[in-house]
Amino acid sequence: MKRFLALALLLAACSQKKPIVVGSKNFTESVILGEIVARKLESAGCTVDRRMNMGGTFVCDSAMTSGALDTYVEYSGTALEAILKQPKADVAAAYAKRGLHWGPPLGFNNTFAMIVRRDDAQRIPLQSISDLAKVAAQFRPGFGYEFVERPDGWNGLLAAYGLTFATPPKTMDLGLTYKALASNEVDLIAGNSTDGLIESLGLIALADDRHYFPRYDAAIVYRDDIDRKCSGASKALESLRGTLDDAAMRRLNFEVDGKKRDAAVVAHDALGR
Amino acid sequence: MTAEILRVTGEHMLIVAIAVGVAIVIGIPLGIYCTRNPRAGRVALRVIDAIQTIPSLALFGFLIPVPFIGGIGMRTAIVALILYSLLPIVRNTFVGIRGVDPVVRDAGVALGLTTRQLLFDVELPLAMPSIVAGIRIATVIGIGVATIAAAVGGGGLGTFIFRGVAMVDTRLILAGALPAAALALIADVVLSAVERKMIKG
Amino acid sequence: MSSSIELRGIEVDSILRGISLRIEAGESVAFVGRSGAGKTTSLRLINGLVKPTRGDVLIDDVPLARTDLVALRRRSGYIIQGSGLFPHRTVYDNVATVPRLLGWDEAKIKSAANEVMSRIAMPLERFGARYPRSLSGGEQQRVGIARAMVANPSMLLCDEPFGALDPIVRRELQETFRELRSDATIVFVTHDLVEAMRVAQRVVLFDDGRIVSDTPSADFPKQQLPLVRQFVAAASLPS
Repeated sequence: MKRFLALALLLAACSQKKPIVVGSKNFTESVILGEIVARKLESAGCTVDRRMNMGGTFVCDSAMTSGALDTYVEYSGTALEAILKQPKADVAAAYAKRGLHWGPPLGFNNTFAMIVRRDDAQRIPLQSISDLAKVAAQFRPGFGYEFVERPDGWNGLLAAYGLTFATPPKTMDLGLTYKALASNEVDLIAGNSTDGLIESLGLIALADDRHYFPRYDAAIVYRDDIDRKCSGASKALESLRGTLDDAAMRRLNFEVDGKKRDAAVVAHDALGR
Repeated sequence: MTAEILRVTGEHMLIVAIAVGVAIVIGIPLGIYCTRNPRAGRVALRVIDAIQTIPSLALFGFLIPVPFIGGIGMRTAIVALILYSLLPIVRNTFVGIRGVDPVVRDAGVALGLTTRQLLFDVELPLAMPSIVAGIRIATVIGIGVATIAAAVGGGGLGTFIFRGVAMVDTRLILAGALPAAALALIADVVLSAVERKMIKG
Repeated sequence: MSSSIELRGIEVDSILRGISLRIEAGESVAFVGRSGAGKTTSLRLINGLVKPTRGDVLIDDVPLARTDLVALRRRSGYIIQGSGLFPHRTVYDNVATVPRLLGWDEAKIKSAANEVMSRIAMPLERFGARYPRSLSGGEQQRVGIARAMVANPSMLLCDEPFGALDPIVRRELQETFRELRSDATIVFVTHDLVEAMRVAQRVVLFDDGRIVSDTPSADFPKQQLPLVRQFVAAASLPS
């Protein structure tokens, strides 16, 4: 009798799928994408452990290589410039060498957008990033911690455009930068091209006339051994290839940032459609 | 980077100095008021106690949407820090004054000191060690809590800490944490010395 | 310059239940009784530290209710158990307290302080710059006496001033107090009958919130009241 029970327990343990840990960075779009990935995996029969709002790029990346995280959504530009520090490399090949799979692109490019208030843009006028030279002496920049530190962020931009700002940038939680811009605490922020709030807050994105920012194609990164935790995992993730374009992503972002809906619910609806 | 560290250290000290300064100006009279009006005083102390229990990041966050004193920037950080600095200062003023030997207070009244003279010539001087201790505690705590200012665009040494966390870069974290620890230590040592000088009898 | 003191029909909560007493200017009176009998409360009525629930207090025939209490207190001396010296001030500054409140110039204060300090055998040159905590209990109380008397008060109110001191020091201070020969009207609260008879000419006995006897000191032990008998026995006075 005892031997039978032990065997049964062992079998049960083996057939138990270990939870796949899905993470996200700590801004709205990343959380929505994390939820989409999580739900897709769940609908494929995997158990998922959610770790949303984990911190920035580097927190997620270290967690991936250490195995604390199994999958999250990253952007090509970020991977090349900030993580790999090899802007010209083949991102998929470079990731493969780290035991990570640079997975299916979701279909949109979320590049950095330098954003100002609409009335400032009309008044000065400002249309492209080069135009910022006109206001570099007065404008107060405000950014999240990553943009200010990353080599492909603020410092790179200043070098590429030959700009010198009189005021050093204020740093704050990324989520607050829109509010800071709208309430006149800062005059320039680094938003994302797919952000939902740009239009609703009366803001405008400046054109990257010197093409400083690379493409940031969103792609699902996952560990090579993910199928060992749940056999349908990689297949489920691959099925998300090309399912979200720029406009769709912007809409989803607005649902959360503008209409204050829950990211998980918005993700659920997106998959259902 | 050194220039930037110096700049944010200056910001940090400014935030703490203004906040503790305002807390002293509000807190000592409030503490005196609490000793004169026991019932109102109890309520006031309980409210200030409750403020202390709010997690610092949450308090900063609550203040962001408040008009005039809120928003994103140094002002919000200073307001939050003022609220946190009140308890040690108010409570220590209250305890310090109540702790004056009742015989001494009785003698003061009987000799013909007015209430005002009693307060300024007897009660406050004798309560000074306690009050300075309260200021010291508020300052040391304030230096730590002020690191959160960076989360709401308030500047200060927290800037480096948050950047270091985002980049998983220990060097950046230390660039913020070490000066903050040093400031706290210096403040503690200096104010303890002042406290000791205040003890007379 | 001394004041007359009168308590008329005084009631204070449940502590004093009908006290009437007149003390003439220049008299020295001891209030004696058991703990809680009401002697300290009665004393504290005189300078307004306690307010009566009923009845009047008159100083120089003027009701207290119509008097500036702060000014009255500056004209009286108050000596308490434990001395109540300001610990953060020197001996000199403590003694100078009332004269400064009265606006005397420093030269006058210095000379008055010198005078009173030498009378309590604690010369200013030696003790003036010291702080109370460096003095013995007896020395502190002497300074307390000096502080109360330096401005020539019209009344001297003493609340068990020697109570916390050892018997030898107590005896010394009783002598010092007597030799000071102040013109002021003196009211001296004590539970020690022998002390009362030493420092005062008249003894008023309190019991349970009322005055039960009021006689010249020498006549006190001769009374037949049971409470008096008890006091006398406890003080081991020859009857």
